[in-house]
Amino acid sequence: MTRLPSAPPARVERLLGAVLAAAPYRDDILGDLRESFEDVARRRSLWYSRAWYCGQSVRLMARYAWRLRPATPARRHTMDRFLIDLRFVVRGLIKRPLFVASIVVTLALGIGANVAVFGVIDALLIHPFDLRDVDRIVMPITTSPKWTGHRETVSSADFLDWRRDVQNGAIEHLAAVDWWDANLVGRDEPERVLGFFVSPGFFQAFDASPAMGRVFLPEEEIPANAKRVILSDGLWKRRFGADPSVVGKTILADGEQWTVVGVMPASFSFPMRAELWAPLVFGEKAATNRARSYLTAYGRLARGHSLDEARAQMAAIAQRLARDYPETNAQLGSQVLTVSRGMADVGVPAVLALWQAAGVFVLLIACANIANLLLARAAEREREIAIRLALGSSRGRVVRESFLESALLVLLSMPFALSVAWLALRVMHGLMPARIIRYIAGWDHMGLDAWTIGAAFLCAAVAALASATLPALHMSFGGVSDALKADGRAGAGPGRQRVRRALVVAEIALALPLLVAAVMSASTITKFLTSWQGYDPDGVLTMRASLPASRYPDAASQTRFASRVIDELTTIPGARAVTVANVVPALDSNWRRPIEISGRPLDGRAKAPEVDYRAVSPQYFDVLRMPVLSGRGFTTADRDTGEPVAIVSEAMARKFWPDGAVLDSRIRIANGPWLRVVGISGDVVHDWFDGQQPTVYRPLAQAPIDTVTIAIRTDGDPMGLVAAARAAVARVDNQQPLFDIMSERSVLTERTISLKYIASVMAAFAGIALLLALLGLYAVMTFLVARRVREIGVRMALGASQRDVVRLALSQAVRLTAIGVAIGALLAVALGRAMEAGLLGIVSSDIRLTAALAGVLALTAVAAGYIPARRAASVDPMTALRTE
Amino acid sequence: MKSQGVYLGELEQLILLTVLRLDGDAYANPIGEALASSAGRRVARGALYTALERLEMKGCVRSTMGPPVAERGGRPRRYFTVTPTGLAALRASRRVLLGLWTGLESKLGTP
Repeated sequence: MTRLPSAPPARVERLLGAVLAAAPYRDDILGDLRESFEDVARRRSLWYSRAWYCGQSVRLMARYAWRLRPATPARRHTMDRFLIDLRFVVRGLIKRPLFVASIVVTLALGIGANVAVFGVIDALLIHPFDLRDVDRIVMPITTSPKWTGHRETVSSADFLDWRRDVQNGAIEHLAAVDWWDANLVGRDEPERVLGFFVSPGFFQAFDASPAMGRVFLPEEEIPANAKRVILSDGLWKRRFGADPSVVGKTILADGEQWTVVGVMPASFSFPMRAELWAPLVFGEKAATNRARSYLTAYGRLARGHSLDEARAQMAAIAQRLARDYPETNAQLGSQVLTVSRGMADVGVPAVLALWQAAGVFVLLIACANIANLLLARAAEREREIAIRLALGSSRGRVVRESFLESALLVLLSMPFALSVAWLALRVMHGLMPARIIRYIAGWDHMGLDAWTIGAAFLCAAVAALASATLPALHMSFGGVSDALKADGRAGAGPGRQRVRRALVVAEIALALPLLVAAVMSASTITKFLTSWQGYDPDGVLTMRASLPASRYPDAASQTRFASRVIDELTTIPGARAVTVANVVPALDSNWRRPIEISGRPLDGRAKAPEVDYRAVSPQYFDVLRMPVLSGRGFTTADRDTGEPVAIVSEAMARKFWPDGAVLDSRIRIANGPWLRVVGISGDVVHDWFDGQQPTVYRPLAQAPIDTVTIAIRTDGDPMGLVAAARAAVARVDNQQPLFDIMSERSVLTERTISLKYIASVMAAFAGIALLLALLGLYAVMTFLVARRVREIGVRMALGASQRDVVRLALSQAVRLTAIGVAIGALLAVALGRAMEAGLLGIVSSDIRLTAALAGVLALTAVAAGYIPARRAASVDPMTALRTE
Repeated sequence: MKSQGVYLGELEQLILLTVLRLDGDAYANPIGEALASSAGRRVARGALYTALERLEMKGCVRSTMGPPVAERGGRPRRYFTVTPTGLAALRASRRVLLGLWTGLESKLGTP
């Protein structure tokens, strides 16, 4: 019977032929395989035989791929040697999956934690802005020897001088920016939009061109031409339905008509996710106002000019201004920062430095663990290596293998490390409320980018080097004859044990400070969040509104709005008390005013003391459940026509009237009318980093405001009142948008969220560190005990009891732990001091806490050592003695 | 070792003996099959070629090409025969093994 030969997969055959190109029996291999294939095909299905053919081909290719050689003989030799070493190392690792897994997990945690922190640092400090040519965008700022920091803002007159004088110099397109809480009215319900007034040149400074229309023209700085706006991509889509003909139309904002001249692309929303830009107008007084600094300036380094030149030019301008206007500018200097530096939050670098330090600690512990594991492995291989050296293998090769092994392990753990980092960054990003993200430049694009991944590889290279060096040194300097003479108890040399013990001590010493730092921040923060802050944040609904000057131009209209809103809100079911104020506690804005006390004139040039300033309607203290300690609260009788009065906080009374004669004394706010102090209120904590600040309260009717916070006290869930409250305000003014509608509890939570972040990140680090350190101690104790099995056997044969053996084995663990804890305690105290200084004083180091945690760590460490000790004691003496 | 001529590994010995047994019909496929059936060694295809290549380099086997075969896609078979060097090497390793075995019957005979 003849049968047509069925063909093997042609492509696979061709591929195999190509891979085997250099093999001596290429055609024979192909032929033999083809023949066997026919044989298989006769007996089995075509499917099976083809699969079989593919399997055989893959195996052949895998074998012959090693032989695909580079061209030159020298390279061929190196390549061969490398491949042989690599194969050797890979085989060694494959045989020890548990060893590999423990190293990969350790490295993934160590590197992953560091990469995550670096991702945050990268996003927040190094590349906070997604702007073209970001290094050339600069912020001129004001400095003064009187201040510790600097001031990002500048007065309008100073800015105009800056702009005129630097025009053809090192900074081009110098532009000023001012806040604009724009109230948009239109088809939908009124909305408050984050807008900015910007002077012409702003968009050029950022090299941003509009997606539609144009940017502002220089002549639009003049009031007559200034009613123009540029929309952000988001606003255009949200409120204008992505209308392609929006340019040229007018919109209604703050009660006025504005013509849309352009739409920016989605990539540009500077500053802070801005949605609306309008030309900044310099009024008549602008050119003379040097006292009030409210503008932020941005510019672009001119082509061919450096940051240093810009600094020199700005310094010269500041000197001239100081000479010409000594009364306002006498001590003011100037500095030029890149936008990334200038807009970084002051507290952020300290916190991130702390995190990165913690990350490095964790990585060091991870490296110590891995070095220990590799040392244990080197000990296992000591005889093998000694034999190889005796037979003529070079020490270089042994060392090379050791480094190759580490490199391979690190490479293997990279995907896991990157996953850990990615996950950590996702979690951190997800936990931060969107409302806050926009104030943190860079938080939005926090993630794994080229920089972070580069940092990860750098981290990995360091880890590989750090963990491979010790074992490599030991392998290369170990005496050959000693190892061969040793009776199989490899790794028992005193030198090696000293290194292993030192590593464990180091791990414990590094873990303790992390633990102390984590518990310290967690406990102080919890204490802060749960402690009485002077008011009751639960059961209060807050919302804000900013009254546009076009419809609320004067005090009377603003007062009328406030009183009508209070009347309307009081009628809604569930509202127990209603207040309107400029600021409620923990809000992310604060008003401060200089005060003067009657009978204590300021001597000459001394600066008037500043206190927190609150304008509040009568029920403010009831809504927030703040006590009025003496005197009286405000009543509806405190009108603008009545006697000007004020209430001061306890802290203010203590600070300015140490003798206690507060009531009926007279004070003055910013050269206003003299006020009689009628009461003392309890203190509140407005900012967690400031504590209880001296505060002065004024009746709202006597001190009208255009940005109001409305607070409603209720018995139930405050968020249940939102719909009714909105409707009530709409009855007063249906064009007035409300924003930041949230419970006072949420206000407080958002305000303190960074604290929780600090604490939880530190806790994560401490947890990882503790886990790794305990694993390290456990592994070393197991190893040391295993090396002493014979000795233990002898001791037990000679009459030692199980308890004696446990004590013997445990005493080692106790000694190591004791030394580690002692060193760690010193480090912990130092780190505590650093945290106290770095975290604005809210964290206080505590010796007792350190001692308690040292105790806890010591106990858990000894427990980790107890398990191997127990195991040693349960060894049968006869088995132990037979162990070779 | 060099003074005693060519040294043979275990697999090489098995292959040489199999080639001798196959007597003129020894190309890679039957060698592999015979190794599997009579010696109980399943040798990977690649390893077999490597070993044959090494044996040829040492001069223990010689290869000749047969006529083209349709089943092989028109490729010829490469037949291996054992050279005098190969025979000498086999004899030498047999001698060494027998020498080492002598006198150990009592120890190895019954466990």
